[in-house]
Amino acid sequence: MTDPRLKKLAEILVHYSCTIKKGDKVVIASDLVGEPLVQEVFAETIRAGGNPIVSYSTGAMMETFYKEASQEQLEWISPTTLYMFEDADAFFSLRASDNSRVLSNVDPEKQALAAKARTDIRKIYKERSASGALRWVIAQFPCQAHAQDADMSLTDYEDFVYSACFAGHDDPVGEWNKLHAMQETLINWLKGKKEITLKSSNADLRLSIDGRSFINSAGKNNMPSGEIFTSPVEDSINGWVNFSYPAVRVGREVNGIRLEIKDGKVQKASATKNEEYLLSQLAVDEGASYFGEWAIGTNYGIKQFTKNILFDEKIGGSFHMAVGSGFSEAGGKNDSAIHWDMICDIQKDSEIRVDGDLFYKDGQFQI
Amino acid sequence: MPDPRIQNLANILVNYSSRVKPGDWVSIWADLGALPLVKEVLAQVLKAGGNPTYNWHSNELDEIFYSQASKQQLEWISPLEEIRSHKVDVGIYIYAEDNTRTLTNTPSENMALKSASRRELFETEFKRAADGDFRWVVTQFPTQAYAQDADMSLADYEDFVYKACFADQDDPVGAWQKVHDEQEKLVRWMKGKKNIRMKSPNVDLTLSIEGRPFENADGKSNMPSGEIFTSPVENSINGWVEFSYPAIHHGREVDGVRFEFKDGKVVHASAKKNEEFLLSQLDLDEGARYIGEWAIGTNYGIQQFTRSILYDEKIGGTFHMAVGAGYPETGSQNKSAIHWDFICDIRKDSEVHVDGELFYKDGQFQV
Repeated sequence: MTDPRLKKLAEILVHYSCTIKKGDKVVIASDLVGEPLVQEVFAETIRAGGNPIVSYSTGAMMETFYKEASQEQLEWISPTTLYMFEDADAFFSLRASDNSRVLSNVDPEKQALAAKARTDIRKIYKERSASGALRWVIAQFPCQAHAQDADMSLTDYEDFVYSACFAGHDDPVGEWNKLHAMQETLINWLKGKKEITLKSSNADLRLSIDGRSFINSAGKNNMPSGEIFTSPVEDSINGWVNFSYPAVRVGREVNGIRLEIKDGKVQKASATKNEEYLLSQLAVDEGASYFGEWAIGTNYGIKQFTKNILFDEKIGGSFHMAVGSGFSEAGGKNDSAIHWDMICDIQKDSEIRVDGDLFYKDGQFQI
Repeated sequence: MPDPRIQNLANILVNYSSRVKPGDWVSIWADLGALPLVKEVLAQVLKAGGNPTYNWHSNELDEIFYSQASKQQLEWISPLEEIRSHKVDVGIYIYAEDNTRTLTNTPSENMALKSASRRELFETEFKRAADGDFRWVVTQFPTQAYAQDADMSLADYEDFVYKACFADQDDPVGAWQKVHDEQEKLVRWMKGKKNIRMKSPNVDLTLSIEGRPFENADGKSNMPSGEIFTSPVENSINGWVEFSYPAIHHGREVDGVRFEFKDGKVVHASAKKNEEFLLSQLDLDEGARYIGEWAIGTNYGIQQFTRSILYDEKIGGTFHMAVGAGYPETGSQNKSAIHWDFICDIRKDSEVHVDGELFYKDGQFQV
């Protein structure tokens, strides 16, 4: 018998996150390591009347692709990929891996080239997502590689993942609805507000959210979730941040990132580990040195940093910002081939003021 | 057909490292993931006329054992273990973990208890090895988990491993013989010497090696190898070290370790990450705060830190020290249930003087 929590996670994904209906075309994308979760999501999709399309990949094939493909091959887009983005009603991205560092030594320029060639696809994805034509969710299958990154055994990591998703609860959907309601109160309060100032030992930032709306992230697009986010006015951000957590992107860990921002643009960027990679990503295109997201994590059930953005950006008592593309549903205008989240602890000596009012202090909301 | 380098490695282990002879009892201890290498080792042992037995191991079983066993169960010693320690001719140990962090959160005092109860067995094996009655070799089969720790894909990591073991060469045994000869010159030069003085930005140490011979680690007990080591006079060490690399023990990574010595004893120990675990291990028994080994890595084919002691302590341009049990063959008097290595880079602004003569400078031998 499979872990009953795995089945529950699949039910959450199919019925709560993506609300699969009869006749839906449903893409299930995963690494081969995620097969047990794919199996459950597939079964639940069938039961819900959807038409599943399974798309597997492996880390080793991605490695070969980035190491050996020519420019033409890097830029080629498969007609079936295009179909999946243009026509699917729902898209499950299931994260799993047998080695989270499989792409650590591939040429970042080649990755950037392939990402750039997929700008149009991402645009379609985002537009269809914003209009409601495409429901999508990113979720995690607990596997050894991610357990190792989290400094945990697989058994402990399974407990961590399922508990963060409420998959151990009798009524997980009820739990997600509760979180949604709490965040809705915050978002209603933020409506019409204009200026945010953030001060802590790690950051000194000023940014405008004038005309931008906050989005309630409560398990529809990310499982687990627990954050409120917006796309700040692109040229309004000024100040600096020392991101307290490492930022991990396509198999590379960048530590000790410091960004200095002037009129929305990253003026100076440095890192204590993998600085070169950081700089190469910020130079991918014009939008990569501007910000597409500003957010606060609200999942107080996630307390540990596990080197996994899906969980880390939700840590209750942290905020994060992403360089690169923004969210049109939040009013974001920034366009880029990348969207890279960087997370910072604000549990101590930290204050966020909104139009002068104290909104957040030392990891807790004040309104 | 399997990777031909696996066959080569098996040949090195059986015919060079442990020199299996007809009639030898050869105990193969291996993680479950090592099966491809164990198959080749078995074939070589049979060819050499040895009698193989297997001892399969899994970290996941260890996790259950260490978290659920009572004191009596932790201290119980299987009669089989006892017989093996006293009788076996050859031990081939092959690690092949699927998650190097499986034991990160298990109670360290339980691991310590188990180790402590086996002290007599360790001592028996150490003594039998010193007397030439027991040959043993430790190696690692390349897995995704190790590759991930090394920030590499499995394909790149396999290249790294087989190259470090010379398993990619036509005449690996000849190559190891050359290492042996070069190190023999250094070991001979050291004969009869008394005092070592080390200075670098990370180190300021004095220690006596009077009456303590150096050993030539040439791939007999560790595969790969490349180091010369001794057990310094126990109460002679004074000064301090800041180990530049993380130290990993029982799946726990301890970063930024600093030791201060007075008359051989670690009188002050600190770490930036997992300090508590470090201290718990140092307080295991009286010998755990004294040094059992002092060594210089000589394998200039290993230049990267890969978070694995088997490779890291051999890096050309480093030295390491181990707290805990020393080797009888190098004259050690120190007894302890642990032996834990700590590594430090000495490639820059570093000098080692022996009886006042410059022996080593900036990562290179001077004699």
